[in-house]
Amino acid sequence: MTQQKWEPKIVAFVCNWCTYAGADLAGTSRLKYPANTKIIRVMCSGGIDPVFILKAFERGADGVLVSGCHPNDCHYNAGNFHARRRWDLFHKLLDFVGIEKDRLQFSWISASEGKKFADVITKVTKDIMALGPFKAYQNMNSEFTIEFPELEAVALKEMLHEEEVSDGRA
Amino acid sequence: MEEKIITKEDLLKLCDDIIAKGHTLLAPGIAEYVPVTNASQIQLDSSALPTKASYKSYVFPKAEPILYYKRSKNDVQLIDADVDGKKIIVLGAKPCDTNSINIMRHLFNWDYEDKFFDLRQKHFIIIGLMCNSFDDYCFCTSVGSSPVSEEGSDLFLIPLDEETFALRIVTEKGDEFIQQYSGFLKEGDETRSFAVIEKVKHPEKAFDSKQVHEWLGNNFESPKWDGIGNVCLSCAQCAFVCPVCHCFDIVDEDYSYSEGRRMKNWDGCQFGHFTLHASGHNPRDIQSKRYRQRVNHKFRYYVDKFGQILCTGCGRCSRGCPVSIDIKEIVANCKD
Amino acid sequence: MEELRKYAKELLEKGEVAAVIGYQQVNERRTKPIIVTDPADATKLVFNEYCLNNLSVYFTRARIRSLMRTKDKPTKLAITAKPCDVHSIIALIQENQIQRNDVHIISFYCHGVVRDFGCEFSGDYLASKCITCETHKPLYYDKIFGEDKVTPQASDKSLAKIKELEKMSSKERFDYFKSEFDKCIKCYACRAVCPLCYCQRCITDKTIPRWIESSSHGRGNFAWNIVRAFHLSGRCTGCGECDRACPMDIPLSLINRRMAMEVKDLFSFVSGRSLETPTLVGSFDKKDNDEIFM
Repeated sequence: MTQQKWEPKIVAFVCNWCTYAGADLAGTSRLKYPANTKIIRVMCSGGIDPVFILKAFERGADGVLVSGCHPNDCHYNAGNFHARRRWDLFHKLLDFVGIEKDRLQFSWISASEGKKFADVITKVTKDIMALGPFKAYQNMNSEFTIEFPELEAVALKEMLHEEEVSDGRA
Repeated sequence: MEEKIITKEDLLKLCDDIIAKGHTLLAPGIAEYVPVTNASQIQLDSSALPTKASYKSYVFPKAEPILYYKRSKNDVQLIDADVDGKKIIVLGAKPCDTNSINIMRHLFNWDYEDKFFDLRQKHFIIIGLMCNSFDDYCFCTSVGSSPVSEEGSDLFLIPLDEETFALRIVTEKGDEFIQQYSGFLKEGDETRSFAVIEKVKHPEKAFDSKQVHEWLGNNFESPKWDGIGNVCLSCAQCAFVCPVCHCFDIVDEDYSYSEGRRMKNWDGCQFGHFTLHASGHNPRDIQSKRYRQRVNHKFRYYVDKFGQILCTGCGRCSRGCPVSIDIKEIVANCKD
Repeated sequence: MEELRKYAKELLEKGEVAAVIGYQQVNERRTKPIIVTDPADATKLVFNEYCLNNLSVYFTRARIRSLMRTKDKPTKLAITAKPCDVHSIIALIQENQIQRNDVHIISFYCHGVVRDFGCEFSGDYLASKCITCETHKPLYYDKIFGEDKVTPQASDKSLAKIKELEKMSSKERFDYFKSEFDKCIKCYACRAVCPLCYCQRCITDKTIPRWIESSSHGRGNFAWNIVRAFHLSGRCTGCGECDRACPMDIPLSLINRRMAMEVKDLFSFVSGRSLETPTLVGSFDKKDNDEIFM
């Protein structure tokens, strides 16, 4: 088997009203950007709990992006203002305990900024590429993980098939 | 009981050999029993107070996997977790620590044999060290032990002077272990060590465990519990530093979409959610009930069930309590 | 001391307060909390350099608060508090955990306390929060005792450690905190003693979904300690109780202090100093720092 090139896994928590619509616009405008980012839509950037980010790192994310409406544009008036203070502190805290600053990034992207969305995703992906994989967190309790023996080929195929179907439905 | 003499120098050589063989050697450090990598780090000080934590976590770890699972379409694969049967030698264990494994063994082999505990304790060699000091929180004599108790030790050291120790062979396991080092040992006689033991000051007996047992049985609803419950803050520091507290919680942790492990973690009876039912009902809903449970479990239930007090009198829980609740004082107060 | 006892006794006898939360001597170098409801017990109250506990934590306990309603009319709770404990009370009032009118603050001029029970009171054994303390006289009180004395001089080791960590690379810092958090046994003593950890149900106890792994292995410990520190950033008043309570000696207040420094830099805010200003995370300013956002 040939050695596959490492691709970063990035999770983006985006707000429903601005950034997600911006991502939609990027798509309908057929803008090109790296496909490493998995988008999770939430109602407001103020509703993203910092444990979401920890959980993402714990499950093997190499980087996380949090994005919402521009200040003064929040659908709920003040969600992003509250979020801004919180994220500023959380970013500083993660930096202090030794998680590189660029692993967690933030942006304001409005519904009309499809281009900015593509640019931000490109930049974040580039930054994370430069930092390399983030395994330190995920592997912190690797002594408690084991390798399961390979399932029989048939069973494995069935399992994959099932996942495809369920993905399709979702 | 056989008694030998070993010099401190030889004892440290023996330790170096244990380490060289790849066994784990635990010795009291600043805060807890720590694995020693070089015999020169060892301080055999019989006048040191108990460490902040006991060596309980080496026989009953704070978190350990018991099985792994992987889901697939039609079934679940299960793999039992392995226990590493690494030999662990504890050197200089306090007499209030040595008996802890014996006390916990009752519980772990009562209705179900806990293979994790059993395998680990089988590989334990405990070399106890006579204790020559106590503070306000020590009460080993009140729970039937003493600063010179050999109970639970496989080998027991008594410092004769600065450079020599009397080494008593207490169990067969200890005998078997020390045979390979017989070159270090000289014949000893008991007169010298008895003279040392006689001089050891014992902490004053604070309570009579039989009376406490009886009082607890009759005073489940005593108003005395309320006062304690008001001050206690419901952390589990006392349970986690206790050499014999053994409650645990079983949780499943998934580490990917289809894989995970079942963990056995320490739990403490002072937590509010310790007895919280799925229905929302909590039989021990207030702190006074929880503290009552702690005292009753240690001095009554365990005695009824296994004939053994669930306490070694080390006083760790009281020494470290953030609000300075002294279990000795509370138990001593368990009388009319 | 006699004045304090007399005052407390009067308060209880007049029925002005339902209880006095105070300190009681255990031995020469140790005190413990006592909840005095009987005026006769007021003679047990003490205040000295060994009064380490931050008693405001008892305001967060339902069973203590319920004492206010044991008499016919609602009464107050009196507390003996060091000036730094008053900061915690202010934070609790700001966060609506207790009303100012429900608290009767008996405070003292304070010149520092020891680091831990059993230590001699001197610069070497001074609690680290006392080294940089600026409030020797409480900011709010209903009654004050004692006289202003000079705090012994000591070097600020915790600040030196923070500076040392700041100079390290991310990886070195990560390894340092990993090894420190690895010691955690999840006894949650840090949570229990913290006056500002008053959630009815802590996020770490939530199981559906389980956000923080309850096992005390590397990952579970790391997540718990980060979340604890984060939930206290901008709120922690720096009483240092978590440090003192930790049986495994994890430098918890190091992170708290570093976050307080950040908060001061970013928002010129110090928690628990004024009843007039809103809390940091409960409010916002349209002109807040926008640097980190692209």
